Amino acid sequence: MTWVTWRQYRYQGALAAALFAALAVVLLISGLHAAQVWQSALAGCMKGNACGNLSLGSSAFTTLIVATSAVPLLPGLFWGAPALAHELETGTIQFAWTQSVTRRHWLAVRTGWLLLAAAVIAGAVSALVTWWSGPDNALLADAFQANRFDITDIVPAGYAIFAMALGVCAGALLRRTLPAMAVTLAGFVAMRALIAQWLRPHYMTPVTVYYKLTANVAGPTGSYLSVNQGVVGPNGAPPAAGLGNYTFNGSPVPAVCQKAIQNPAPCMTAHGYRAYLTYQPASRFWAFQGIETGIFVVLAAALLGVTFWVLRRRDA
Amino acid sequence: MTAVIETSGLSKRYRRVTALSDCTISVPEGRISALVGPNGAGKTTLLRLLTGLAAPTAGRAVVLGGTPRQDPAYLAEIGFLAQDIPLYRRLTAQEHVGIGAHLNPRWDGESVRARLGGLKIPLDRPVGTLSGGQRAQVALALTLAKRPRLLLLDEPLAALDPLARRNFLATLAEAATVRGDGEAGGGLTIMLSSHLIADIERVCDHLILLAASRLQLCGDVEKVLAEHRILVGPRKDTTAIARTHAIIREDTTPRQTTLLIRGSGPVIDPAWAVEEPNLEEIVLGYMSQDDPVRRAGPEAARLSAVGGDQ
Repeated sequence: MTWVTWRQYRYQGALAAALFAALAVVLLISGLHAAQVWQSALAGCMKGNACGNLSLGSSAFTTLIVATSAVPLLPGLFWGAPALAHELETGTIQFAWTQSVTRRHWLAVRTGWLLLAAAVIAGAVSALVTWWSGPDNALLADAFQANRFDITDIVPAGYAIFAMALGVCAGALLRRTLPAMAVTLAGFVAMRALIAQWLRPHYMTPVTVYYKLTANVAGPTGSYLSVNQGVVGPNGAPPAAGLGNYTFNGSPVPAVCQKAIQNPAPCMTAHGYRAYLTYQPASRFWAFQGIETGIFVVLAAALLGVTFWVLRRRDA
Repeated sequence: MTAVIETSGLSKRYRRVTALSDCTISVPEGRISALVGPNGAGKTTLLRLLTGLAAPTAGRAVVLGGTPRQDPAYLAEIGFLAQDIPLYRRLTAQEHVGIGAHLNPRWDGESVRARLGGLKIPLDRPVGTLSGGQRAQVALALTLAKRPRLLLLDEPLAALDPLARRNFLATLAEAATVRGDGEAGGGLTIMLSSHLIADIERVCDHLILLAASRLQLCGDVEKVLAEHRILVGPRKDTTAIARTHAIIREDTTPRQTTLLIRGSGPVIDPAWAVEEPNLEEIVLGYMSQDDPVRRAGPEAARLSAVGGDQ
């Protein structure tokens, strides 16, 4: 079965390897340049904390790096969705499943290799991107930000496994390639957005820090994930909107301070108002990578369970 | 003689459609059985139930002594050629041979090379670039390379021109003389579905006729021929005939009546001219019945006995 899978996917495999090689060359060139700039910056401007306008390379590379967030989807979209759908659609499944192997075996070996391939591809691209992002992250402290967290370290492999399982499952249920690809695309984007937006900030109980409204304070150190921020009053509730809907730091100015609207901070501080920031500290980066990868792997396992169940029950 | 295929009350319902209803057949070992019937009669469904690709909603099939199932030992015994000859279009015949070698316990790849070489079909070109007839030959050679004991072929002739059809049937007839597991002695049982009665009449010695998802007829061709007669006579009441014979089809013109009847008893009334029908006339007679479902009801059980008492 392994040999059979290889025979059927070797051209796709070669294409994937070629695309990866092209990406690797581009990222190596720009990454080496960025690393060089960074090393000289460490010796120079960083000492004087004057690296504000430091450029590590063309913004086109940054765009390319952000675009790699689509990479984990591709194996699932182009290999996973057709894996069963195309065979069901063209009838070749009847050839495959009347050789002397069971469907379960056939499916297990094929999806096993596809899942591995997806994880390896996404992992390899992620390794490149992680390496490339080193100086950038250090400069901008954005490792925990959505469009950097999502494309570095281990989560891309988790996403790729999920996309592959989603594609295979959609193909088994819909039995047609194009609808299966559409569902894979939509399902992947929706699940990624949902989890990144709504679930990720709450994997662990966030830390809250309070600041005086009058002071100019620095935020937490390192690359943290901001969950929430604003102003709260002495009773722990945010100020109610006053007359005229004036705002300060994005929060309504309470009625008692409406007279000092030009500079309400001292008045609000006097009345017990303070700023807060709820966040996930930088030290939790790896825990979050692990949790998010785990979530997507569990989702993938559930989808594969459905696939096996459907194919065992339904006629070919 | 042992039956290779034995079904009782085999039925398959899809959500709203009944594809096969209460089908009870028996096919003895070594037969080449023609599975005929109009489109939508349930031929493909029956074949898929016998391969185990589909599961019946009622009834039971016993094939080669066991239930069709997802089991390597069972799958190794059957060769199945699905409708429209599905092969991987981008892979060559040689690569298909490789796939078969990896997925089957007793694979005879050499036979494929010999067979296709004899027919001058290239092994190294993607099968998608071959003609329909060549593709059918590749698929048949691959199916035979499994060395099955039972060969199930779904409309293998549909897309072929007359010459390709003849070549295909020649390959089939030759294969039928060699037992699946390599021993000599005509032990390979074949069931093939087709619309082309005239074509398969020459190679088949057993007939299964389906219409409106019900079994109409199942038995050896010789016996089927012997049991049917065509009566031609003046237009008259047929109730006397109906008492001793089953009237399969009645054609009436203002001047004469033509009947296709089944039953071995003599027709005494001298008003009828008795003719021996050929297989095609019998099959067409059943296929053009006014109400095959009604007819199949009481008939099916009796007809199945024809196949069963071999």
